[in-house]
Amino acid sequence: MTSIAVVGVSHRTAPVEIRERFAFSDHEAVEALGGLREKSGMKEAVLLSTCNRTELYVCPGSDPDLVAAGEAVLAEKAGGLVGGASQYLYHEQGIDSVRHLYRVVAGMDSLILGESEIQGQVKSAYELAGRVPTDPPVAGPVLHRLFQTALAVGGQIRSQTPLGRGAASAASVAVGLARKIFGSLEGREVMILGAGNTAELVVEALKRDRIRGLIVANRTRDRAQNLADRLDGKAIHFDEMPFSLAQTDILVASTAAPHVLITRDGFRQAIGGAREKPLLILDLAIPRDVEPELGGEANVFLYNVDDLREIIDGNLIKRQASISDAEAIVQDQAHSFAQWHDARDVVPVITGLRDRWGSMREDELEWLWQRLGHLPAEDRELVESFSKRLLNKLLHEPTIRLKERVANGRGADFVDAVRFLHAVGDVAPGADAGADASAASSADSESGPELADLFDRNDTDE
Amino acid sequence: MHALALAGFTIAYGQLPLVGLAPSLSTLALIIGAGLVATLGLGEGRRVGIVIVPGVIVLQGIAVSLGFEATPELLDFQGAWFVFHMTLAFLGLCGMALAFAAGLLYLVQLRELNTKRLGRLFQFTPPLATLDRLGRVGLVSGFSAFTLSIVLGWAWTVSFRHSLDQTNPKIVWAVLSWLVFVAALGSRAGGGLKERRSALTSVIGFTFIIVSYLALRLVSTDGGFFL
Repeated sequence: MTSIAVVGVSHRTAPVEIRERFAFSDHEAVEALGGLREKSGMKEAVLLSTCNRTELYVCPGSDPDLVAAGEAVLAEKAGGLVGGASQYLYHEQGIDSVRHLYRVVAGMDSLILGESEIQGQVKSAYELAGRVPTDPPVAGPVLHRLFQTALAVGGQIRSQTPLGRGAASAASVAVGLARKIFGSLEGREVMILGAGNTAELVVEALKRDRIRGLIVANRTRDRAQNLADRLDGKAIHFDEMPFSLAQTDILVASTAAPHVLITRDGFRQAIGGAREKPLLILDLAIPRDVEPELGGEANVFLYNVDDLREIIDGNLIKRQASISDAEAIVQDQAHSFAQWHDARDVVPVITGLRDRWGSMREDELEWLWQRLGHLPAEDRELVESFSKRLLNKLLHEPTIRLKERVANGRGADFVDAVRFLHAVGDVAPGADAGADASAASSADSESGPELADLFDRNDTDE
Repeated sequence: MHALALAGFTIAYGQLPLVGLAPSLSTLALIIGAGLVATLGLGEGRRVGIVIVPGVIVLQGIAVSLGFEATPELLDFQGAWFVFHMTLAFLGLCGMALAFAAGLLYLVQLRELNTKRLGRLFQFTPPLATLDRLGRVGLVSGFSAFTLSIVLGWAWTVSFRHSLDQTNPKIVWAVLSWLVFVAALGSRAGGGLKERRSALTSVIGFTFIIVSYLALRLVSTDGGFFL
């Protein structure tokens, strides 16, 4: 069983005003992970903090005290919450925590199903853990493997299923539409009417595509100025809006006005005839700010809230339909991860087993030579060879069968049984640590090479 | 491969693949294909290939089905004048073909945006601005090459034959095609929906060029007909 656990808070368990109390900046995350190692001795940990979730992945997660220490880190960040922080926290352990991260990376657990931003956020979270100044690093071999496979699973799901296809938020639809009209958005002029939250999100998304200028028009100049300052734009009063309309490429309307603000006639007057270049209008206001007839004007592409909602719903339906395919990939890859993890456990066990019996063989030979000191050298060699062959033959079958069980994903109990019956952990702790280091250094590879090495050793011994 | 095959034809028959229907169609297909390759640097613009590639395949298919044979030596169809004349004409048609493909996709994308369906076709089709730019480049370069080709043909005929048969089908077709270029470029002038007008004119114009060619070829009894 994988020794990973996750404790966290997300949009599923807490509203935004609670989630923001759990949010870590990069600096805080590095400090928190360093503190966790120092106080609890936690081997590995990665902290993922986005606007929709804060999650702490820890290894080993089978120790309740260590998991509690991880939970304490989150609770401490949230501060004094009425009723305590734990009411908002969820826990996953073992293979469930692996499946959880795979779903998170694929956007299956996101507020907007299938959104892709989370992929980059998970990658950044893992890289951030690598910056924690601890030795050995908190981003250790198990979590390294977990996060690398998670990012691969996210990519696989997005490429093989429709989960991430089609825009699923007003901002992404707006950017998609703008790109399909203008090609590159670099150098385009954007005007925003009003100061609604959705409009702000849309403009922020457009700004990432390097639009040239932004004009914020509002009935109250101060409010317009506030938003313009925040978005690095220029504020104007509503009355000045017609003069800027002719130069605008994208207009985002989102006022609380109870009536239409831009009529077709007013638009014609403002631009002085037919429009020469395309204009994308996103009317996000309810009631609408733009007269629907304006959509019939030459070179004007008008989309209102219902149009955007229809597009988003259509895409979300397609995404929902692909969840079962995505889930199948998650299950399959989580199973592979568990196999890798179990195989990682079996390497030190087999090494320990061989070391233990090898050491016993040498002790017994020493005892024998004390009693058979008269034996000639060549007879001694024969006896030594016999003892080696006998030991290899005795260990060969259990080793093969153990490997098969692990490969089938049913090896954990057998590994424990071998450990217990042969007292492997008691006798050769050094061997275990050595194998751990070996596995750590090859965390990207499957368990095959380590096992193959052991079997090769059997063959050469014989 | 295509270029090598045409080079092989030239070596085997000692004749450039600019004379005779099959070799000419094959050369035209090659030049249009090269025009498509030139769009590869245009990002999504290269998706005009969805229209161009089937056209190239059809041209090449017709050429192969007709069979490649040497054309009996004709004095008219030799020399640098003729090579320049034909190559420029083919480049002109290539530009028009690109403008046609870009125009067709422009109208499709415009329809998707206006009907607000935004499905797979919307996702696949390049942005309006990209298609318009591609169409404009196709028209301008095609018009320049085609005009030069006509001037060369006219100058050669007047210089060496001292007369110009204005009823010759190839001259009628060349003039009609040139007028199509003029109309398509002219549709870009003025304001309003000039991009849409240009796209529509390119689509209709290229179709007209093809149909008029086929019609003239059907009614013509001239054995030395072009292409």
